[in-house]
Amino acid sequence: MKVSLNWLKLYVDIDVTLDELCNKMISAGFEVEGVENLADTMQNVVVGKIVKITPHENSDHLQICQIDIGESELVQIVTGAQNVFEGAIVPAALHNSVLPNGMNIKKGKLRGVESCGMLCSGEELCLKEADYPGAEVYGILILDDSLIPGTDMREVLGLDDVIIDFSVTSNRPDCQCMIGIAREVGVVLNKPVNIPNPTYKTVSGEITDYITVEDRNFDLCERYMGRVVNNLRIKPSPDWMKKCLKAAGMRPINNIVDITNFVMLETGQPMHAFDRRDIKGNKIIIRNAFEGEKITTLDEKEHTLTEQMLVIADAEAPSCLAGIMGGLNSEIKDDTTELFLESAKFKRDNVRSTARALGVRTESSSRFERGTDIMNVQFAMDRALQLISELDAGDIIDTTIDLHQGLKEDRLLNVSAQSVNDLLGLNIDASVMVDILNRLSIKTSEDNGILNCLIPSWRDDIEGKADIAEEVMRIYGYEHIVGTSVKGVLTRGKKSDERMKADKIKNLLICNSMREITTYSFISSKALEPLNLNEADERNKTISIINPLGDEYSTMRTQLTTSMLTVLSTNINRKTKSARFFEISKRFIPKSLPLTEQPLELPVLCMGIYGEGEDFFTLKGIIEQLMQSFSLNVKYQKSAEPFLHPGRQAQIVLGDTVIGTFGEVHPKTADCYDINEKVYVAEIKLEQLYAAVQPPVIYKATPKFPAVNRDLALLCNKTQPVGDLIDFVSQTAGKLCENVELFDIYEGEQIPDGKKSVAISLVLRSAEATLTDLEVDAVINKVIKRLQTIDVALRQ
Amino acid sequence: MKDKLELLRSAAKAEIHAADSVQAVDEIRVKFLGKKGEITAILKQMGSLSAEERPIIGQLANEVRADIEAEIAGAMSLLKDKALNAKLEAEEIDITLPGKQAAKGSLHPLNSVLENLIDIFQSMGFDVVDGPEVETEHYNFEALNVPADHPARDMQDTFYLGPELLLRTQTSAAQIRTMETRKPPIRIISPGRVYRADEVDATHSPVFHQVEGLVVDKGITLCDLMGTLEKFAQEIYGSDTKVRFRPSFFPFTEPSVEVDVSCPKCGTKGCNMCKGAGWIEILGAGMVHPNVLRSCGIDPEVYTGFAFGIGLDRLTTTKHKISDIRLLFENDVRFLEQF
Repeated sequence: MKVSLNWLKLYVDIDVTLDELCNKMISAGFEVEGVENLADTMQNVVVGKIVKITPHENSDHLQICQIDIGESELVQIVTGAQNVFEGAIVPAALHNSVLPNGMNIKKGKLRGVESCGMLCSGEELCLKEADYPGAEVYGILILDDSLIPGTDMREVLGLDDVIIDFSVTSNRPDCQCMIGIAREVGVVLNKPVNIPNPTYKTVSGEITDYITVEDRNFDLCERYMGRVVNNLRIKPSPDWMKKCLKAAGMRPINNIVDITNFVMLETGQPMHAFDRRDIKGNKIIIRNAFEGEKITTLDEKEHTLTEQMLVIADAEAPSCLAGIMGGLNSEIKDDTTELFLESAKFKRDNVRSTARALGVRTESSSRFERGTDIMNVQFAMDRALQLISELDAGDIIDTTIDLHQGLKEDRLLNVSAQSVNDLLGLNIDASVMVDILNRLSIKTSEDNGILNCLIPSWRDDIEGKADIAEEVMRIYGYEHIVGTSVKGVLTRGKKSDERMKADKIKNLLICNSMREITTYSFISSKALEPLNLNEADERNKTISIINPLGDEYSTMRTQLTTSMLTVLSTNINRKTKSARFFEISKRFIPKSLPLTEQPLELPVLCMGIYGEGEDFFTLKGIIEQLMQSFSLNVKYQKSAEPFLHPGRQAQIVLGDTVIGTFGEVHPKTADCYDINEKVYVAEIKLEQLYAAVQPPVIYKATPKFPAVNRDLALLCNKTQPVGDLIDFVSQTAGKLCENVELFDIYEGEQIPDGKKSVAISLVLRSAEATLTDLEVDAVINKVIKRLQTIDVALRQ
Repeated sequence: MKDKLELLRSAAKAEIHAADSVQAVDEIRVKFLGKKGEITAILKQMGSLSAEERPIIGQLANEVRADIEAEIAGAMSLLKDKALNAKLEAEEIDITLPGKQAAKGSLHPLNSVLENLIDIFQSMGFDVVDGPEVETEHYNFEALNVPADHPARDMQDTFYLGPELLLRTQTSAAQIRTMETRKPPIRIISPGRVYRADEVDATHSPVFHQVEGLVVDKGITLCDLMGTLEKFAQEIYGSDTKVRFRPSFFPFTEPSVEVDVSCPKCGTKGCNMCKGAGWIEILGAGMVHPNVLRSCGIDPEVYTGFAFGIGLDRLTTTKHKISDIRLLFENDVRFLEQF
């Protein structure tokens, strides 16, 4: 809400500095978004009278003007404009002046003749025809004859004002107008507020002789008032009104239109003016639009309407989008003689949905959307008629149309002063509360500790003690709040089991030199394409955002790998040589599509690594550590993710469930991300890790007897998975086998084609005694013999 | 013979003193004490002595022997130390060379700030609870006192996923789920991801993070809210941090306040960090609206409560003076490794 300080002063005496006023309003809940001092934009420009014009000796187009600026001596200014004449009143920018277009004017010589400033055109002062007559004429702006030389041009143009932009919270629609803000200013400064008390002259007549109104939807139009004004005298508004409108960023048009705008800005109640001649059948019907019905609004745009939209129609067609914008067909014209003036209350959500659907947002619609006061409808009408009367703009017929289904009375709210103090934690005297509430126009008396509050019609937001507490507090001052401790037994708060397990995973990964990343939960609808997933893949079943910010952020992710690949790509392309990343986030898995209920939000871990020294096994090592730390006995099997290298990927299997996959990213997929080196990713579902029951750690005695190491060089088929071979050896060796370690794999010279040599070391130990050679040999022989059954021989 | 022994003693001592290596001392030991050594030779002649002389000479011989042995041991020890010191000296390294570090890992700055925050609130007895990110209109709006026609719904642009289903615009939704499942006294925080249809720029992101706080019990006051937030702010920004309330509006709290902290850089003087204001806005809070308590089956005549919502991203960027929120989601290693 942009508020002109000069306008505000019409209602309330402001005897504090601008800063103080702003601070007091902030403390009362009205944030100041900005302060604009219009005077700053123009400096040292005054009204001048051209006393004498002489031609310039060295130029055929320059003229030398002697200007009276209200001082004893004339000022000489050279101008190139041809429309100047002796006796003309003009704006003169003097030496060291500043113009609104940013120009700085200094004295200088023009072709040898001294010029102590510049005469200004309307354009140089950033004026339009509506701001000042003749402003758009080519040449110097010729001002009104009656202006006195020496007058500051800011005064002439209404630039001696300060505009304060107050932010009004959505619970205070009553403050979307000058009177509303003035009321609050009156409260914070503890000053009376001078609210107009409208009276006006009328001529007798029966309004229904001119027009009838029918409200067919009281639900959407709760109150509709109409008045008729005849013998209109359309002319420009007086300067004071023009200044007010301009300060609010509105353009003056003519007295009638300006009055409707002025009243809206002053009272918060939007008004609408119809040219009565254009109301067909002399009938106004408030009704829902017919499906497909059309209207062309004042801005000359045609809209196609739906049944949900409320219109103000005449006997034939819609004349107005109710509460939003008038129709072009019935607007006030220069020759309009009869006015039908509307003041009404329209339902806020209907105005909002219509305005949104049609993409139209006006000063009027934004006020109806926030909510207007049904009692203000009449006040605004009276105020408009008062202005019509004062400006002698027409003859007001003395009868009124006022349709509604009941009006509102001030509500009585009883609140105990103690309960207000209990909520605040303070001990404010009841009499202080009474004073504050009365200043806020809430007529309040106290009876035995009970505050009897009469809530005015414009304060729908006040429903109970909490609201009364807030009203008292914001005026009493939040600086009185002193911190206290919450009472009660203090125990340390708990974290959920899931959070504790996530913490554990993060700690382990950080110890493995990994860095945590954070990426958006939504991805592009095309993000999955590089993964080359099978059509039937579950990950294709994504939830789409109905109103995304663009395709890039349109799809809830069902996997984290694509986000990880983007991060890997960013870092690789910024020349970071190596990195390890992880992210723990959610997969969004719909129970059905289209979405009818909340989807599953499942926790998932994604890892990505690249750089020198990184390979499939460094990633696998981290995963092994992770699984061991959760005491999960998982298997690693070959897998077939289409976005991973077909020969370098594995799935992590727990029982019968695949809980994750990992491997080297397929070069084709990597290429889609502009990645030209080997990168490795893993994605692990965390449900099973979170569910894992950690067995308690029970100490096992350290071995008392020495271990025996036996190395075996085995010759097996090249395709033999070594992991399986080690498992086989370990199982065959039985309970004496403490460990089987791999120490070499060799292919090449001395090894037959299609074979490889696998060197392993068995660590054997008994808990009861030192093993004898005989015992060790028995185990080794058994292993060698059993290995033959799977086509593995001892290397000779 | 007695004189001979004394001569040997002083000769041995002189030689030991002159010796400059372990080897030389060992040779002296052999020369005097060895099987064919000079003391041994003298002892072999003991048989020729009288019965009176023998014990005297015997005793003297043993004494001389012990004396020489002690001298040798002393010399040996000195020489060994000398040799060791020489070796250590030769092994000196340049300690200014860089150390050998294992590569480091790190939490994302958002989460390291969150962990700090969780720790502070846990110590004040707040449990940490989580809620779903895809919410129903009921939990995100209606139950929070924002009915369908309420203008406050315009305050946030919401991403919709289906009929009545949306990406939560605030962690406040978790308040309702908590109050439905727990009875007062309630003391929780609920951190998480929230979504609003804001175009991406230096200070806006369609995905960001909040930490919701909720306390409900008998006799909870606005002053308790101040006390709680003061403790939090002082833990985060330093013990002399001041907290200030400004009236504001949120549909789910009444009274509602914006909460400022004194600028961690300048106190309240005003500087470039606080843009001259002296204060930094860090969160919104208020007393839980009676309608919200009622919709969760809690009697507002018996119980009161307060709630607050901390913007984690803003807290993180102000704490670490990060100029652009987009850096948090870009995940450049050179950014991440600073935390």
